[in-house]
Amino acid sequence: MASRWWRWRRGCSWRPAARSPEPGSPGLAGPPGPRAAADACSQAHRWKGLDLSQIPYFNLVKHLTSACPNIYSISRFHHTTPDSKTHSGEKYTDPFKLGWRDLKGLYEDIRKELLISTSELKEMSEYYFDGKGKALRPIIVALMARACNIHHNNSRHVQASQRTIALIAEMIHTASLVHDDVIDDASSRRGKHTVNKIWGEKKAVLAGDLILSAASIALARIGNTTVISILTQVIEDLVRGEFLQLGSKENENERFAHYLEKTFKKTASLIANSCKAVSVLGCPDPVVHEIAYQYGKNIGIAFQLIDDVLDFTSCSDQMGKPTSADLKLGLATGPVLFACQQFPEMNAMIMRRFSLPGDVDRARQYVLQSDGVQQTTYLAQQYCHEAVREISKLRPSPERDALIQLSEIVLTRDK
Amino acid sequence: MNLRQLLFRLPHYLGASGSPRRLWWSPSFDTIFSVGSWRGQSSKSPAHWNQVVSEAEKIVGYPTSFMSLRCLLSDELSNIAMQVRKLVGTQHPLLTTARGLVHDSQNSLQLRGLVVLLISKAAGPSSGNASCQNYDMVSGIYSCQRSLAEITELIHTALLVHRGIVNINELQSSDGPLKDMQFGNKIAILSGDFLLANACNGLALLQNTKVVELLASALMDLVQGVYHENSTSAKEDYITDDIGISTWKEQTFLSHGALLAKSCQAAMELAKHDAEVQNMAFQYGKHMAMSHKINSDLQPFTKEKTNDSMTFNLNSAPVVLHQEFLGRDLWIKQIREAQEKGRLDYGKLRERIKAGKGVTSAIDLCRYHGNKALEALESFPPSEARSALENIVFAVTRFS
Repeated sequence: MASRWWRWRRGCSWRPAARSPEPGSPGLAGPPGPRAAADACSQAHRWKGLDLSQIPYFNLVKHLTSACPNIYSISRFHHTTPDSKTHSGEKYTDPFKLGWRDLKGLYEDIRKELLISTSELKEMSEYYFDGKGKALRPIIVALMARACNIHHNNSRHVQASQRTIALIAEMIHTASLVHDDVIDDASSRRGKHTVNKIWGEKKAVLAGDLILSAASIALARIGNTTVISILTQVIEDLVRGEFLQLGSKENENERFAHYLEKTFKKTASLIANSCKAVSVLGCPDPVVHEIAYQYGKNIGIAFQLIDDVLDFTSCSDQMGKPTSADLKLGLATGPVLFACQQFPEMNAMIMRRFSLPGDVDRARQYVLQSDGVQQTTYLAQQYCHEAVREISKLRPSPERDALIQLSEIVLTRDK
Repeated sequence: MNLRQLLFRLPHYLGASGSPRRLWWSPSFDTIFSVGSWRGQSSKSPAHWNQVVSEAEKIVGYPTSFMSLRCLLSDELSNIAMQVRKLVGTQHPLLTTARGLVHDSQNSLQLRGLVVLLISKAAGPSSGNASCQNYDMVSGIYSCQRSLAEITELIHTALLVHRGIVNINELQSSDGPLKDMQFGNKIAILSGDFLLANACNGLALLQNTKVVELLASALMDLVQGVYHENSTSAKEDYITDDIGISTWKEQTFLSHGALLAKSCQAAMELAKHDAEVQNMAFQYGKHMAMSHKINSDLQPFTKEKTNDSMTFNLNSAPVVLHQEFLGRDLWIKQIREAQEKGRLDYGKLRERIKAGKGVTSAIDLCRYHGNKALEALESFPPSEARSALENIVFAVTRFS
């Protein structure tokens, strides 16, 4: 069985994760046309009596991962699997397109929340809501909203309040980015100068506060106290995550737990709690709320782990921000912590937060020589599998499947 | 470490000697004080004001100073206190702000919390509604209202801390090492965010979406107000922006009035009072805050013995009014005349301003707002708490 899977996979297009992509290759779409590859795949299997188009999507992923547990790279062939028969395969293979259907006008609506009379402050606050970000969080929220609504009562309707959660998630995220950039003295993000470099630190901090206050107003207007409690938890977690980053642990074992806790608080908490919030609005069943939360949490941690990997493997043009950024800030992320197990010499550098000249480069070399990147990627996969396992408990729908696909995208993205 | 120990050690950590005056209104710190006399026996604070405040605090049941410091006793913040300690000896404004928080004085007194508690008590329970029966009440104030008072202070303190961020590219060598300033900024941002996060959590616990909306919008107003303070502060040549008194009032409402006004209104909402009562509370908060601000602005011009070199804010009420009476050109001329080799002689400029109509106008404006505040109070039933609120207005409108 395993060998057949291998041959079949080689027939389809795939790209190993964590390798620098060739220039010009798009982030998301698979190289050959989706239909062609789908035909190739289904042909490869028809002689075995296994018709790919009949296998429920999530089982396919499960087969893959259980058959090849030690492979660090993930195939993207499944992007090309034809989905439901009533729609063309093309339309719903991209979770981002699917999610965006509910998010049209997202940035315009956020800008409406930031409508204040002070023009420079407004300009600063709107700076990152230009439509150029990944908008991953709103997409996840929108897809989760539909998946939960369908699960609950087959409703294909998204409530206005659920859409507002998507706005709020993006606003809270951006407010924290603005403050983080001042704290880290960052000069560029998303391919352009940071707010603090253009307008100065004082105003940048105020812009972050403004975005946060606008998000809170929007949150209050939803009128649901449970949802308010869920999302204010995020604000606290974001700050605590930054504090965790300030401090460091002496003990190697504690370091990893500390790193995962920081990762949860800084990245996953927002996604997990936004998912939970939309599920609360869409469905009264606490089991569903927990599923949504767990999906968000696991996907969030995986996302950050891959982000930490990309800091080593990608180049700065791709990312829109300089790389080795974490090392330069004195942060020991996943790849570094794993590498340290192979090269104990790194311990001293970690303890002094890479502050001596040459530390950053040496640490980077150690990481690239070790299997730190692969280990971190593998760990990210595990979290993705857990996310998929959870979300699969919901009733099938295009949105649920898109959320499953998203976990793959999270693993294979290159920026 | 309990509150008492922290308060005892904090001034020690923060250094007792004077610091450069980044914030023009910060009182001088050449008195070391001990916790026992935290009310500030320094001869600079008027005894009358202290008396008003101490009476008020008895009425609400406990001293309201240091309210926001209570949330600072968590694990993180012993971390922050240690970090702030590293700033001793540097010139980062956070140090001044932190000192200001522990030192009792008319300007840094945690007035907002006290006013929210007093107005809660003055309004009492709402007549119609039985749904507040299960809230517990101590000294005539619901626990949710006490919580709200604390949240108000948290928001105020958070922005106070965020005001102290410095622009890195404007630093000069006289400001000290760059590293210290960057570190100070980092701690200032994180502490401010921590306080805001606590405020948000506190708001969520109140389980009242209207109150959350009110306080969130107050925060938005406050941020805009602080932004204006930064932007309109005088440039190198001391020439301020040409803002008239009505723009000044709008901006001052944002930076000083909105938080107190909306908190007072929110306190009424928590006790389920109707729109009329909520509006009266809002009006009291707004006008009282305005007159308090104008009073502070007037201090450099009305105090008997003023140190000639004492600086004052060129965007304060009396100065803005003076400029409006004089006209822009004459005002600029006065500033230029008061300059010697590029440095402003504040004493000289003060004399020019006192000779004009700015100061008396500002006093009138202060009293106008004071009267509006008293009017708003008339709709509340007479009580100790209401008298305390009246006394606060009397204290900020007296200039003898």
